[in-house]
Amino acid sequence: MRFIKDILNNFKRYWFLITQLIARDFKVKYKRSVLGILWSLLNPILTMTVMTIVFSQMFKFNVPGVNYIVYVMTGIIMFNYFSGASTGAMSSVVQNFTLINKVYIPKYIFPISKCLFIGIDFTLTLIPWLAIILLSYFGLGTYTCNFNIYYILLPYIFLCMFLFTVGMGLLLSCISVFLRDIFHIYGIVLTLWNYLTPVFYSTEILPGTLQKIMKFNPLYRFIEAARSIVLYGQAPTISSLVIIGLMGLTMLLLGAVVFKKKQDKFIYYI
Amino acid sequence: MITVENVSMKFNLGIEKDFSMKQAFINMLLRKKTNKESFWALKNINFHIDKGEVIGLIGSNGAGKSTLLKVVSGVMKPTSGKVTINGVISPMIELGAGFDQELTARENIYLNGAILGYSKSFLDEKFESIVEFSELRDFLDVPVKNFSSGMTAKLAFSIATIVNPEILIVDEILSVGDIKFQEKSKNKMMEMIKGGTTVLYVSHSLESIKELCTKVIWLEHGQIVKIGDVKKICDEYYKEQMK
Repeated sequence: MRFIKDILNNFKRYWFLITQLIARDFKVKYKRSVLGILWSLLNPILTMTVMTIVFSQMFKFNVPGVNYIVYVMTGIIMFNYFSGASTGAMSSVVQNFTLINKVYIPKYIFPISKCLFIGIDFTLTLIPWLAIILLSYFGLGTYTCNFNIYYILLPYIFLCMFLFTVGMGLLLSCISVFLRDIFHIYGIVLTLWNYLTPVFYSTEILPGTLQKIMKFNPLYRFIEAARSIVLYGQAPTISSLVIIGLMGLTMLLLGAVVFKKKQDKFIYYI
Repeated sequence: MITVENVSMKFNLGIEKDFSMKQAFINMLLRKKTNKESFWALKNINFHIDKGEVIGLIGSNGAGKSTLLKVVSGVMKPTSGKVTINGVISPMIELGAGFDQELTARENIYLNGAILGYSKSFLDEKFESIVEFSELRDFLDVPVKNFSSGMTAKLAFSIATIVNPEILIVDEILSVGDIKFQEKSKNKMMEMIKGGTTVLYVSHSLESIKELCTKVIWLEHGQIVKIGDVKKICDEYYKEQMK
């Protein structure tokens, strides 16, 4: 109990710093760009358009019975959040070494503020996402999606994904201090992970063994839970909701424990 | 106020020296520790500072002065030993370490203030006096990357000294900016000292040490050579250096 209280107190104390770090990231990211923050909205729309055209027209991919555009877009925005935030968090500690070496700041602030910063971007991409779902009522794609009561479960699903990402970010940023090779390795891992997550295909085209393995892929779980709500109008099963919660918490705990154990050694590896 | 007991700090020199995957793998299998050359930046340091004392740290380059400041301010955990602090520390180990070059002076005041642990309301309230002290009102909306090093240092000094900390840690900063600003920053330091702030001050300028400090610690090769009277130790140190 005291442990949790300590963490919350620390957050209260450093919340202003976190907001400042996020503000810095925003200002630097959109500096000298004409459209500025609009890119956060445009980017997913354009990516989604390209992906949908490539996969539905060129490769003739389709997922029977659902709106393929929404299917792809749900997968893309969720996977992109994870890959963007975990990559950003991974380099955040190394990037801020000069600061860590000069002033005392809790080091976990850096990966967490990165995950929150990309999280704001993710929240903005939900606007075009919801717009596409709405447009399916007016004939975008073959099938119509239904807005339904289960949408209230979406924040929970996104929260689980966020916790998972923070855990991953803490773990990776810690590894990156000792082993810079991780920057290269993780790029490859992400590409593989992307193909192993059914973003633009359906698991039904996979052989049986792969389908079973897929159940251990947390990102598949998160995306699938969101899809069952927006595409099929069904609430995810209780057990799958519990599992994604556990997956998020386990990763967070793993990342936090490793980070806490190693953080005092960071300073020697500058 | 500050108690340092048996503090030692070890660095591994050349962590990547002779590093190869093969060797690392073999070492891992044989559970052999890689024989990294180690270097003791601090060895068995003991001292105690009372409230209101102004301590000068002297010693040649590489004597361990900056490392000691980092250990006291909590940036580094000592390899062994214990540091006890009572009070709020304002570390000024390197001015402007928290600046983002892309951001403007205005934005950096908030960012750097947050890094030093100030709250938003505090910064809103003190914003004017920071700008006033820094003499940079006309450059508030210019990115810091276009500042001269003197200007950057002035801004950083103004942000760092806006609080009245209980413990102030200063690494060679009084030589910041032009003559006028140097005078101003020295007065600011004096004001803080009179206000009862405990100061740990590193400088190579023996004059400013003699002027400001009440006690001196002379470090050499990570060990305390002498501790005590300002004038006596400064003179001895000077003689030793000039030999």
